[in-house]
Amino acid sequence: MTTKSTAETDEIIICRDVHKWYGDFEALRGVSLTVKRGEVIVIIGPSGSGKSTFIRTINRLEEHQQGEIIVDGITLSHDIRNIAEIRREVGMVFQQFNLFPHLTVLENIMLAPMNVRKWPRPKAEERARHWLARVGIPEQADKYPGQLSGGQQQRVAIARTLCMEPLILMFDEPTSALDPEMIKEVLDVMRDLATSGYTVLAVTHEMGFARTVADRVIFMDGGLIVEQNTPTEFFANPQNERTRQFLSQILSH
Amino acid sequence: MTDIAPDAGGRPPSIPFWRDSRVLGVLAQIAFFTLVVAGLVGLGRNVAGNMGRLGENQLLCRDGSSNFRCAFDFLRLDAQFEIAETVIAYDPSDSYGRALLAGALNTAKVGFFGIILATILGTATGIARLSSNWLIRTIARWYVDLIRNTPLLLQLFFLFFGVILLLPSIRQAAQPFGLPIFLSQRGINLPGVALMPSFTLWLALIGVGLLAAGVVWWLLGRRERRLGRDTRRSLWALLMLLLFAVPGWFVAAAAGAGNQGFVVAADAGIATPADVAARARAALGVDDLSAVEAAVAAGELTPEQVEAATVTLCTVEGAPAEANAAAWLRRAAVPYDVERAPGPNEAIRAYLDGDCRLLVLSRAALTAAAVPNSAIVPLPETPLRLDVPRIEGLNFVGGLKLSPNFAAILIGLVIYTGAFIAEIVRAGILSVPRGQSEAARALGLSEGQRLRLVVLPQALRVIIPPLTSQYLNLVKNSSLAIAVGYPDLWSTAYTTLNQSGRAIQVFLLVMGAYLSFSLVISFFLNWYNRRIALVER
Repeated sequence: MTTKSTAETDEIIICRDVHKWYGDFEALRGVSLTVKRGEVIVIIGPSGSGKSTFIRTINRLEEHQQGEIIVDGITLSHDIRNIAEIRREVGMVFQQFNLFPHLTVLENIMLAPMNVRKWPRPKAEERARHWLARVGIPEQADKYPGQLSGGQQQRVAIARTLCMEPLILMFDEPTSALDPEMIKEVLDVMRDLATSGYTVLAVTHEMGFARTVADRVIFMDGGLIVEQNTPTEFFANPQNERTRQFLSQILSH
Repeated sequence: MTDIAPDAGGRPPSIPFWRDSRVLGVLAQIAFFTLVVAGLVGLGRNVAGNMGRLGENQLLCRDGSSNFRCAFDFLRLDAQFEIAETVIAYDPSDSYGRALLAGALNTAKVGFFGIILATILGTATGIARLSSNWLIRTIARWYVDLIRNTPLLLQLFFLFFGVILLLPSIRQAAQPFGLPIFLSQRGINLPGVALMPSFTLWLALIGVGLLAAGVVWWLLGRRERRLGRDTRRSLWALLMLLLFAVPGWFVAAAAGAGNQGFVVAADAGIATPADVAARARAALGVDDLSAVEAAVAAGELTPEQVEAATVTLCTVEGAPAEANAAAWLRRAAVPYDVERAPGPNEAIRAYLDGDCRLLVLSRAALTAAAVPNSAIVPLPETPLRLDVPRIEGLNFVGGLKLSPNFAAILIGLVIYTGAFIAEIVRAGILSVPRGQSEAARALGLSEGQRLRLVVLPQALRVIIPPLTSQYLNLVKNSSLAIAVGYPDLWSTAYTTLNQSGRAIQVFLLVMGAYLSFSLVISFFLNWYNRRIALVER
């Protein structure tokens, strides 16, 4: 088994000097970040700044070429067993929901617990219904994703992630593909989760969410973490010129 | 523009009919319908005119008169041509109708096996084309590009004249990897499975096992719902089935132990089949009969000695007892030879004439025959016996036999259609959005689970419609069988046409037959496609 030297410590994610290249283009130029258990972190930054790429390296949807990533004491390497173990601990919600269109809502949620965690069907179904109720749409269990609104689909995607009982939740621009009137229902769910003990890494443009829920706001630009601070300090008193520029652009309208 | 604007009275503007989309739509339909009807009428008159010109014998009735009603009566006439291989019994004295039916069934045979094999080959190649392994990917790409870009007829000729007919002669048949598969100019011979009389009992026991498995499945399902936990009911149901199937095999074998037997001279001292092997060992002076071949090669035994020790069986053509006895003798490595008679009486006469050492028949026939001065030795059986092809004289006997012509058209069509199916499978897999794979990976599914549970079920929806066309292409392309001498529908129809002169009728029949094949395939795949369609809204 993997050594869990830091498993009992407070630091659940440790990234040291993470680099990522796409051919000649360096998307991540040495990102270092330590996340404490239960911490809620919001990552913001202009498009192409590497924020999505960064959180996707943490569950190996993107491979980093240099640096070290340790999640809950497991070092991310080419060892597929480590990768599988990390993916069980890290849940991810995508911009485009990525629900499985050929399965019902309930089957979407039960698929991974039954096949990865090897839960028997009755237990998986019970947990799936529990999480579906938690995100507020228990009545949609037997519909197909194509029959739901965008906001409902994203909530199903969140329930699907939660049913795997991860320690860490990662959100990759979860509201960017939603109509304005549906953003609130998803943000409400996210807010509920952020205050109930999960470690959260969220890439989002929702500054209200960042302001009210985050323990720490991180600003990325050009593949680097430019600035990080508590939300109050970050929005009131940005230190870096690029941060100020970015904030003035998105807060001006 | 003025006539579009509402006029002073506020009435809707009037549109001239040549700009009214509703009127234009109706007019277009009327025009199209008129064209189609005119075309059909012209075609019908042309056919009728040609029939008339070809003479009255085209429409000959049995009473000698001539009428359109009798256009297809020629199908009852004697065909008087040979068909090299048929699924149903056929003789040149049978009618044209039966000849065409035999041809149609041959086409169906190629289509059925072709579709199954092309699907397997195509799916494997399609997945291989997306492999991360360079060698596998490249080989798959070369195969697809080479096959898709050369004409099928050329490939069939090459396969038939350049490969199959150049295979070794039957005596030197190639045996790839030492398997009991024989490739020769005479085609491909594969091992088959012979059904013994006790197979029926075994099948019945399996049926009972299935029933029991169903009951277990249902009971455990109820228990699962009551207790709310998994009871591994698929495992228990399978176990239940095996509980009947495995002992059932031995039960059926024991029950069938007396079904078959052979007759030996009462004074020969043979009481069990094992004594036959013992006699052969004694006659050859060896301890191990499987070493006989090597001994002959080394010159320690002469072929004449082996010939003398060879056990000859008299039996009835196609009797299960032959496969049973042969399987048993082969396992004991006893050299043997078979004399086949058309019926039990002929077999018994051959035995009495001294043509063979053993008379192998069903127990009932042996008892009825009551051969004088002889003992009946029961021959053990199992519900299924492996039937391995072996050379007898100038032919292979036993097992499954693919004629060179059938092998050529089947393999040719499978290789050709497989290349197209590979591209369809590849496109289907690529059509599943990347996000689906990412979500599957993020949830921790393994690569195999990702393919099986997420990607392939979705790819299938994209794959089925073009796959249907490939299946139809395979069946239609099977009409090229005439080029490699396989008597398919078109080949027998062409002979029928030449002999009977009924060109129009034969063409109508053949087109109708291919159309029905295609409709059946389309019907099944469309039904399947509807069943797995995505639900949206």
